[in-house]
Amino acid sequence: MPERKVIVKSEVGLHARPAATFVQTAAKAPIEVTLAKADGEPVNAKSILSVLALDVRQGEVIVIRAEGEGSDQLLDDLAAIAAAP
Amino acid sequence: MTTVLAPVAGAAVRLAAVPDPVFAEGMVGPGAAIDPARSPGSAVSPIDGKIVKLHPHAYVVVGDDGRGVLVHLGINTVQLRGQGFELLVAEGDRVTAGQPVVAWDPGVIEATGRSPVCLVVALDAIAASVTELVQGPVQPGDELFRWG
Repeated sequence: MPERKVIVKSEVGLHARPAATFVQTAAKAPIEVTLAKADGEPVNAKSILSVLALDVRQGEVIVIRAEGEGSDQLLDDLAAIAAAP
Repeated sequence: MTTVLAPVAGAAVRLAAVPDPVFAEGMVGPGAAIDPARSPGSAVSPIDGKIVKLHPHAYVVVGDDGRGVLVHLGINTVQLRGQGFELLVAEGDRVTAGQPVVAWDPGVIEATGRSPVCLVVALDAIAASVTELVQGPVQPGDELFRWG
């Protein structure tokens, strides 16, 4: 399955604005999108509850996966959000 | 249907009125906010459930039906790294609605130059499913909004 590995650079991790923007972008896609820590279980990237509970901190590596039409563009967009300082 | 309780004492205001566009625009989710009384107190759980995430400045409680509510104490308070907050429960604990979760003093937060406004957000909820129940004075444990 297409995936992107990204180091989260935001000072607050994947919380607050980065988390909200990430989930809103994922939720617009008509395909399934998951988010996981490097060796962790994937969660639904369209759920703000799941993403906040995953508790990704600054400097942690995440893996974003999606398969289907538009997945490459979507993964690029999500990776850019997660990697933004 | 979930009735979400006020975590702190103060004045209930619309989420749209808070000084943080991420919350004000409903990007995190629909809900309500409370301008807290400037005196030491405890922030309580807004619903019955499990503390799935506990930070000093924010916590998420998930009910048995899977619905999650975020309580965020102040704006940009992650930068305080826990200073001014005392945890009264642990992550993974079961709590009842109205049970104290974090002790804090909104006056101390305000003295750092940050807004101490308390944000209460229904996670993964559509905006139309939330009905605000009160504007103005609230006590901890009062009904704040209904999530239908």
